[in-house]
Amino acid sequence: MTDTLTIDRTGTKPRRTGPDVHTRHSARPRWEEPPTVAGQAAKGLTLGGFLLLILLPLWIVVVTSLSTQGAVNRAGGLVIWPDGLTFEAYREMLEDPTVRMALLVSLGITLVGTALSMAVSILCAYGLSRSRSVGHRFLLGLLIVTMFVNGGLIPTFLVVTGLGGYDQWWALILPSAVSVFNILVLRAFYTQTSADLIDAARVDGAGDWRILWSVVLPTSRAVTAVTALFYAVGYWNSFFNVMLYMPTDSEKWPLQYVLYTYVNRGNGMPGSLNAGFGTAHAQTAPLALQMAVVVLTLVPLLIVYPFVQKHFRTGVLTGAVKG
Amino acid sequence: MTSTATPVTTARPRLSWRVRLRRDRSLLLMTVPAVVLLLVFNYVPLFGLATAFQEYDPLVGVWNSEWVGFDQFTRLFADSLFWGALNNTLYLSFVQLVLFFPIPIALALLLNSVISQRIRNFVQSVVYLPHFFSWVLAITVFQQMLGGAGVLNQFLRGNDIGTWDIMTNPHTFALLVTSQAIWKEAGWGIIVFLAALAAINTDLYEAAAVDGAGRWRRLWHITLPGLRGVIMLMLVLRLGNALTVGFEQFLIQRDAVGHEAADVLDTFSFYYGIATGNYSYGAAAGLFKSVISLLLIWGANKLAHAFGEDGLYRR
Amino acid sequence: MGTELNRRSFLSASLVGVAAMSPLLAACGSGPAQKTGANTESGLQAALPAYAPSSPVTPDIPSVPGGPDIMTDPGFLTYPANPVATVPGVPGRGGSYSAVTPLWGTVPPAGNAFYQAMNKALGVELTMKPADGNNYNTIIPTMTAAKKLPDWIQLPSWWNSNFNVGGLAGTQLADLTPYLAGDKIKKYPNLAAIPTGAWRAGAWGDKLYGIPSFSSSIALAGVVFFRRDIFDAKGITADQVRSADDLMNLGKELTDAKAGVWAFDDVWTYLYPAWGLPNKWAVDNGKLVHKYELPQFLDALDWHNKLAANGYLHPDGMAGDKSNANTRFYAGKTLITGDGTGAWNLADYQSGTAATASFRRGAFNVISADGKATPQLFLGPSTSELSYLNGNLKPEQIEELLAVANYLAAPYGSAEYTMVNFGVEGLHYTRQNGVPTATDAGKKEVQAQTFPFLASPRAVISNPGGDVVTKDYAAWQAANAKSLYKPVFWNMNISMPQSVATADAAQPVEDAIKDCYHGKKKVADVQSAIATWKSSGGDKLTQWMTDNVLSKYGTGQ
Repeated sequence: MTDTLTIDRTGTKPRRTGPDVHTRHSARPRWEEPPTVAGQAAKGLTLGGFLLLILLPLWIVVVTSLSTQGAVNRAGGLVIWPDGLTFEAYREMLEDPTVRMALLVSLGITLVGTALSMAVSILCAYGLSRSRSVGHRFLLGLLIVTMFVNGGLIPTFLVVTGLGGYDQWWALILPSAVSVFNILVLRAFYTQTSADLIDAARVDGAGDWRILWSVVLPTSRAVTAVTALFYAVGYWNSFFNVMLYMPTDSEKWPLQYVLYTYVNRGNGMPGSLNAGFGTAHAQTAPLALQMAVVVLTLVPLLIVYPFVQKHFRTGVLTGAVKG
Repeated sequence: MTSTATPVTTARPRLSWRVRLRRDRSLLLMTVPAVVLLLVFNYVPLFGLATAFQEYDPLVGVWNSEWVGFDQFTRLFADSLFWGALNNTLYLSFVQLVLFFPIPIALALLLNSVISQRIRNFVQSVVYLPHFFSWVLAITVFQQMLGGAGVLNQFLRGNDIGTWDIMTNPHTFALLVTSQAIWKEAGWGIIVFLAALAAINTDLYEAAAVDGAGRWRRLWHITLPGLRGVIMLMLVLRLGNALTVGFEQFLIQRDAVGHEAADVLDTFSFYYGIATGNYSYGAAAGLFKSVISLLLIWGANKLAHAFGEDGLYRR
Repeated sequence: MGTELNRRSFLSASLVGVAAMSPLLAACGSGPAQKTGANTESGLQAALPAYAPSSPVTPDIPSVPGGPDIMTDPGFLTYPANPVATVPGVPGRGGSYSAVTPLWGTVPPAGNAFYQAMNKALGVELTMKPADGNNYNTIIPTMTAAKKLPDWIQLPSWWNSNFNVGGLAGTQLADLTPYLAGDKIKKYPNLAAIPTGAWRAGAWGDKLYGIPSFSSSIALAGVVFFRRDIFDAKGITADQVRSADDLMNLGKELTDAKAGVWAFDDVWTYLYPAWGLPNKWAVDNGKLVHKYELPQFLDALDWHNKLAANGYLHPDGMAGDKSNANTRFYAGKTLITGDGTGAWNLADYQSGTAATASFRRGAFNVISADGKATPQLFLGPSTSELSYLNGNLKPEQIEELLAVANYLAAPYGSAEYTMVNFGVEGLHYTRQNGVPTATDAGKKEVQAQTFPFLASPRAVISNPGGDVVTKDYAAWQAANAKSLYKPVFWNMNISMPQSVATADAAQPVEDAIKDCYHGKKKVADVQSAIATWKSSGGDKLTQWMTDNVLSKYGTGQ
């Protein structure tokens, strides 16, 4: 897709369009001076050090998730050097029908939730992004207050259940559908969208809906991708709302909540202070199982992130349309 | 792209309210869904704030609980533990602002300057992963590496060098939690800055380079101004959130360093409020925090305006 | 503002008066006035069910009595080949109900074969809805606030104050007194075989509400465990340890930090009773005394503070990491640790032997710190798990569910017990060496316990495949039953007004205590925290407990 095409489709008339010839994707632009040795070394060391700090724990987590109970017990905690490997933990989870059902639920909630949240947030962020529009400061204030003031757990619960949200999937989406932070981020980018472009579109008779769709959105794909990622991660990982609004309907639970019950097996059971529970006792979740849950949590992110990352290169687009 | 967008219309500043309303009706309409959701799920539950002025009993509900006026606040302000927690919160917030806040920006710039696309992609896909570790796991990893029986200290012990007590030392706790936060969240924090960097017009760099501006000048005159809007937004929000420094991280490490070092406002509300059935006391602490936070964000925004920046909204 | 304050002071003055009134009167107010929930001895006697023990299977290790109301759990090494039925026919009449229980583990699939088989056996449509046990204390208060309780619910008693069970009793929970008091329980013989102490724990304001699960006549707060296999190898036996000094010496002998071995993990919660301390209250010459105010409390703290200062406590334990305490113990990185008696079980044995083949858990006998006084340990409540029926149920529905509870409470080795605990033969378990052993389906559907949280028989010790655990635990109980005593306010339910409850929780003191036994604070710091606590509510708490509980209802001993 070339930049020229994108802009043409919008029907606006940017003052200067032109083919973009930079090859920033793969190599140093021709105008940039060659790197110095010292600069390269400093960069390499910093990034390398940071990577090491992150990869080492990641390694420990993966190794532990693949370890046998004996290996974990011999290590007395997380396993650093492999010592007896098994896929048992993964097998146990992936064979559970509840987990498979929960995966579908999670996907559904994340897709529907993210789509809804993005629609609402983009509209709101654009609606508030034109300075001097009537009431935008009041509305911004209204939004910002909710970042710092909340009525508490039980009142929110009473409102949601009062609207019939108990045991309903919408209760996992609507109460957390609006993130004011994300709206502010979107808005910060929208306010920076070139006024020239918007003016040009307006001269062409485009209304605000059309400007949003044809000018603002195409020129801010990076921030759209980032906020969508923020929302999707939020929905995918959320389990607090599940705990409140459908704590007992296990066939409706999303994945994170089901996995959470794996991790917390027998954990912190206050009753262990007292007599044990009859003949069978809740066994603490094996560490390998807990770590396998962590790995499973990371997998979808590893799959999705490259698609988000792709949009970090769209800077060229803005450059092409603005002179 | 420049950060000084001109107003939407070239209309004269004082139009009648009616005209402006008609002009902006689509913009207003666009905000309706979000505003309605916030009104229903954030504003209606605010009746719960009333509990801060009660001796709230969840069983009889907000309407039937006993009203006690400002008693909870009187108690709160006389509670030395509360002032200790507030003190810790402000101190930690300051340390985080100085040590943590610039790091994602610096990392994003560093990453952006890496020319090899493959290295960039790899680093980008790895640095954000710790964000998805729970605090329990992150701290377990720290404990196993740096704890009294951890890898480092067993090595030191084995070589008779003495031990380094970082995980349980209340005096260095601020540094410990900040480095944990950097480890866990800095990579995630760069994402929004990467997006902002992507929005900078590359033509500007070329033009500057042609004019003979070196990389540091380009950084100063093009990159940083391009990031300014987002940095200011983050900074203002950070200042408004000065009383929020984390919860779980402190809850988990409370036993390790003792409550005097580890109690922040949020854990205070939890331990001395909800956890002991003292809902109203916790609500009072929470309301206090809300009011101060609103004042802080208002002040931070004013400050941004004083420096000629936009802050949360244009002056 | 002025009037507001006046109104407040008026209210607080009257609060004391209201709270002091008879429970009956206070129950009428929906405002802040709470009933104490405590029971009068005479009123309670009228409500409590008659006790009629039964044991269809003779235990391999019979119970032995300790003091009054104290009895060791029977131990079983075998399982009857042909379990006998204790319930004739099907208890239910086809009613449809929902039940919520806490589950610390993986949720069994909804509508699985075990649930179906159980419903058939029970003759009801009982929908089991297990909820995450770790968040149960958040889930339930929201449920009760929205008045969305299911028909049958488990409310563990350690959360009584979080859930305000005293307030729920009679408003949202059903009064079972008319169905179970005295001889009426004979209709439900398996419920009648639950020891009386456990029923006391479910009584509020002279009425019966809770149905006990996992009751025991020897429930304990926990004990101090040691690695018996390692001690044996070093030639150390448990009865060589007779005083706190002996334990401190073990700390010195066993700690080898360079090798990554520390003698102790956190033991405070389990060891402080050795200084002659009660769980909370003691009565001295008719006066109520809080344990904080006893001089030996400071001695106990001082010892634990020294343990940490001497470096005998594992650094991770000192850093408050409890979740990996078991793994440290299995790995031999700690040799002495504290835990609930429930730690002595088959799963623990399997985990331990997976790390070290010779793993064996041992527990020290109850000791006295100075080695001279008679060793004493207070008894815990006879049950900590009680289920309740919804107050909206009709009498015939309550009777139906009580009949179901009777089925669930069938004793060890009966046909019903086999069904509830092992499921369907062939599908959920097979017999190996005569002992029911779970299949994969059994592990998923049956072993995550749900039904036993609604009602279950008194505890037994049985670890099929780990007889050494059964023998060790039973032997420990038999050896220590004589050292146990019933503490002040044993099995008594007390709900307090908030200001008193805050002093009762004493969070600042508990924080200081923890810092002290982790070696971060001195005993003097705890002393000053206690002094502050006394003046800011502790003394009032003692007064309130004396006026509203001790002088009205006695000590419950």
